[in-house]
Amino acid sequence: MSVKHTLAPFSAWLQAFSKPFTLPDRHGYREGADRYRGWHINDTKTCIGCGSCAEICQNVAIDMVPVDDPVTGDSGLRPRVDYGRCCWCALCVDVCPSGSLGMSNEYIWVEADADAFRYIPGVDPKPWDSAEKGWRQEEGFDLVDHQRVPMPMLDPAERTRTWAEVVVGYSREEARREASRCVECGLCVAACPAHMHIPDYIAAIRDGDDIAALNIIYDNNAMPEMCGKVCTRRCEGVCSIGVQGEPLAIRWLKRYVTEQFDDLSDVVHAEVERVGEGKKIAIVGGGPSGVTVAYYLAIRGFDVTIYEALPQLGGATFFGIPKYRFPMPSLEKQVKLLTDSGVTIVTNHRVEKDEMRQLLRDHDAVFIGTGLMKPYGLRAPGEDLPGVMYALDMLRDHHIGKTIDVGKKVVVVGGGNVAIDASRVSLRLGAEVTIAYRRRKVDMPADEEEIEDAEAEGIKIVTQAIPLRVEQADGGRLDFIWGPAEMIQEEEGRRPRPKLIEGVENHMIVDRVIVAIGQGAEHSWMPEEIAEKIADKRGWITVDENGMTAYDGIFAGGDLVNSTADAISAIADGLRAVVGIQKYVGVLPASEDEGDEPVAIAT
Amino acid sequence: MEFQSVRDILDFAITKEQEAHDMYADLAGKVERPELQKTFREFAQMELGHRARLEKIKAGELPGFTDEAVENLKLSDFLLDVTPRPSMGYQDVILFAMKAEKRAHDLYVGLGKATQDARLRQVFKGLAQEELKHKHFFETEYDEFILEGN
Amino acid sequence: MTTETSELRRRVQLWFGPQHPGITGNMSVQAWLEGDTLTAGVTHVGYLHRGFEKLMERRRFIQSFPIVCRICVPEPDTNEYLLAAGLDELSGLAAEVPQRGRWIRTLVLEMSRLQMNLMTLGGHIGAMAMGAAPNWLIALRDLVLDRFEELTGGRIYHMFITYGGVRRDLPEGFAERMEANFRTIEEKLPLVDNVIFDSSVFRKRAIGVGVVPEEWVDEMSLSGPIVRAMGIPRDVRKDFPYEKYPELDFEVVTTTGSDIYARAWIRRQEIAQSMDLIRQIFRKMPEGPYCAKLPNMLTWTIPPGQTYVRAEATRGEMGYYVVTDGSDKIRRVHVRAPSYVHGVALLERMIPGTNIADLAPLMVSLQVCPPEMER
Repeated sequence: MSVKHTLAPFSAWLQAFSKPFTLPDRHGYREGADRYRGWHINDTKTCIGCGSCAEICQNVAIDMVPVDDPVTGDSGLRPRVDYGRCCWCALCVDVCPSGSLGMSNEYIWVEADADAFRYIPGVDPKPWDSAEKGWRQEEGFDLVDHQRVPMPMLDPAERTRTWAEVVVGYSREEARREASRCVECGLCVAACPAHMHIPDYIAAIRDGDDIAALNIIYDNNAMPEMCGKVCTRRCEGVCSIGVQGEPLAIRWLKRYVTEQFDDLSDVVHAEVERVGEGKKIAIVGGGPSGVTVAYYLAIRGFDVTIYEALPQLGGATFFGIPKYRFPMPSLEKQVKLLTDSGVTIVTNHRVEKDEMRQLLRDHDAVFIGTGLMKPYGLRAPGEDLPGVMYALDMLRDHHIGKTIDVGKKVVVVGGGNVAIDASRVSLRLGAEVTIAYRRRKVDMPADEEEIEDAEAEGIKIVTQAIPLRVEQADGGRLDFIWGPAEMIQEEEGRRPRPKLIEGVENHMIVDRVIVAIGQGAEHSWMPEEIAEKIADKRGWITVDENGMTAYDGIFAGGDLVNSTADAISAIADGLRAVVGIQKYVGVLPASEDEGDEPVAIAT
Repeated sequence: MEFQSVRDILDFAITKEQEAHDMYADLAGKVERPELQKTFREFAQMELGHRARLEKIKAGELPGFTDEAVENLKLSDFLLDVTPRPSMGYQDVILFAMKAEKRAHDLYVGLGKATQDARLRQVFKGLAQEELKHKHFFETEYDEFILEGN
Repeated sequence: MTTETSELRRRVQLWFGPQHPGITGNMSVQAWLEGDTLTAGVTHVGYLHRGFEKLMERRRFIQSFPIVCRICVPEPDTNEYLLAAGLDELSGLAAEVPQRGRWIRTLVLEMSRLQMNLMTLGGHIGAMAMGAAPNWLIALRDLVLDRFEELTGGRIYHMFITYGGVRRDLPEGFAERMEANFRTIEEKLPLVDNVIFDSSVFRKRAIGVGVVPEEWVDEMSLSGPIVRAMGIPRDVRKDFPYEKYPELDFEVVTTTGSDIYARAWIRRQEIAQSMDLIRQIFRKMPEGPYCAKLPNMLTWTIPPGQTYVRAEATRGEMGYYVVTDGSDKIRRVHVRAPSYVHGVALLERMIPGTNIADLAPLMVSLQVCPPEMER
């Protein structure tokens, strides 16, 4: 043993005279690193309550709990973190579809009450709520897939030469890939007026079980192929993936499933009791709400007859929606399932007053879903000139096979879906089309995608244009005169109203002026004693929670009843009436409290 | 027509509101659709409400006209005049009412201009403002529900 | 006096652990003494048992990452890496892991080895009841933990490597701060060397103590510093290169003696090696994405398959045998943990004849990490 080795241990004593090994800033408070994973923070205003954080938490430390004043469109829930379980892995932060959840770089918290360590970040105030440092989402690391599988579409130039469907549809592989993006938060179910079981059928598609998916869809939607093609898809508007990325293509997935089968009767098997044997139901109006009522009552054994004034069922989805969006075979397929289910369909038959009275006497209940069929007039000088036509009439005539002459140049007045449909049909009939809309593009009630498609096909949109009058021009043409508008925001939260800027007149020489400004109910067929009871001044019909009107035994739904004027709301009305009618005729207990729960219709 | 006092003007205006009520009540009996009959009856009631308000002002129970700003959407400026028909629809009913209020408004504006007396002019201005409010009610209804898609 | 009583008087039974402060963690050795010499020892583990392997069978792939780091608390990253590597391989994601992601993984693994070796070296002398050097080494390790905190958001459980890459990019100025820490470490290490390797106390108690015979290596599948201290250049980083190790320039550290001193010396050399490797990594790391585009964590399924992936932890070869069955969860994980071999089989074999005072230093030198024995 050398002297060196003997003395070596004592060299440690020399440290007594030098600076300490440990660093001086270790005493007292030390700030956590910039991306420290400390106590949670949550921006409850942008949080949508989708629960993905709770879903990914492997410790089950996060519960979704109801909070006061939730924002519309979200679940009304916010994550509550239990720090007795949390392991600070921050996967909840990384997965958060809205990006609202974060972690502060604060790590010291002393409290005598153990229960305090379970709080709702952002709701229960904490000193670190406004911490700027801490773990946050970062670009480049995503636990969810923000990119939608692109939908193959016809080239815009090619579209205008044909009536072929613009949207080509997903392949099986594409559909499965798109379906696998879903985080199954279920916000879509709440947003869907019909409360379709969206995450369930998406999961079935993902697992490759298209038949199961179709049956889940048919559980509460009798016209899914129509919805799969033209639905206003409020589900996608609330999709949690859509907050930072592209929402799930829920509509296209539904479309994919329905397109896989040529004959629905082979695959759709509703397992319900035929409780309605011997009960007779009449349905006036064969639109989506009427079809819904007919199908779900027919499979329950009811004797159902639908009366439709036009040659085909479908209502506005038949006569309004152009075939490049919703082809005839798709509609026929759904109607066939209806016939196969035992529904009697009477087309080309308009119910009049006396017949309505007779229907009431002969049936256990009558459902009215006649929609808004009467276009509102332009009510500007020149509205009676030949060449001024109504989009609704034009679309209907076109779809029942009449020849329409729209000339070379068309102006369509209006900005709703009807206006866009009329424009794109006119375009395919060979005209150059301009849309004149009173408000701004963001205010257009038409589907955003539809507007984009229309523009891609070459349709011009003139906004803030108020139609003043139509005059006869040379060569049998029309002079469409419009004035510019300024937008007035009168009430917070409502769409601004256009106000004419006087003194300026713009001229547009066209062959046709197609009016699509709005439409109202047409009740001249309805017996006065019924109309008096059920219709309000605008022609709308009020129903109770069972879908029944103030007139005993008359149920109603569709555009007449809801103000949203979309097919899925009509279907939702139909579903409500299906339950209501069963209660009314006594095959369902009347006291059964459905509450706000989604109504499972078929199963 | 000559107006000597505020009272004269208010009496005139009260008569006008009564006339409007009578007209709507009459139309309620003429239109075919029961739901529009209801609508006209509602309008008639509204006119009675306006009349009652003027009477209160006349009796000094209300301080006078409020001077709140009302937006003029000018819809009634360029839309067609409609003639009431038994088969008329809701669009024409609103349009008709909107035009009637506009006529009343224009009448008071015209009378105000013709009056030298500043105090009386103030009363006409207030009445015109009232009618503008009524017109605005119908114009927003038209903008919101008739021109839903435009 | 019966034989039985005399036997009892000659042999004392002693429980070493599980709360012994000088021990490597929560496990215990039931030892029998004759005088101050151990005649036999039985290991008892289970105090940390949480069933990690089983837990992973009930969780989605991403949810297993916060679990695996617990399999070895002081060196969690090897576990994270191995799970990620196994899933990458089985899912086919391996082809998409970006280069920078691979470099950051290598960096994290090497940082992890560095801080673990700093701590274990302190443990070597601490187990001999010398207090100063362990305190210094823990302080130096803290510098590396500071960098971990900055990079991964946590000091001990990093939960940073995932399938597809890593969770975050390097923060601005990370390499410079790391370099400053290295200078401090390099400045202080000679002091540490002095009180460990030059110390007569350490030398007397470590040289020739706890010698592992060479013929046990293959018989018991020993690995890591234990075999390198016998002069066998066995290192997974060289033998079965993974991530960016093939692109790094380093030699396997070996020495002879196979005793506690030799194993401590290997660890001391590997501290220097790790710092060198990290400097190389910073020089060679390209810019670019750090993680592949990941599938939806909730619905991701991996086709059926099985694989064995391995990496060099400071304790030896660590391996994960991963089986997937096409569902969204792992079917089975088996963790091949070096401590299981070294801390149970080898330790029990080495105990007879060991002086009671040398048991703690022996366990440290075998680097027994109890949680990884009881996955």
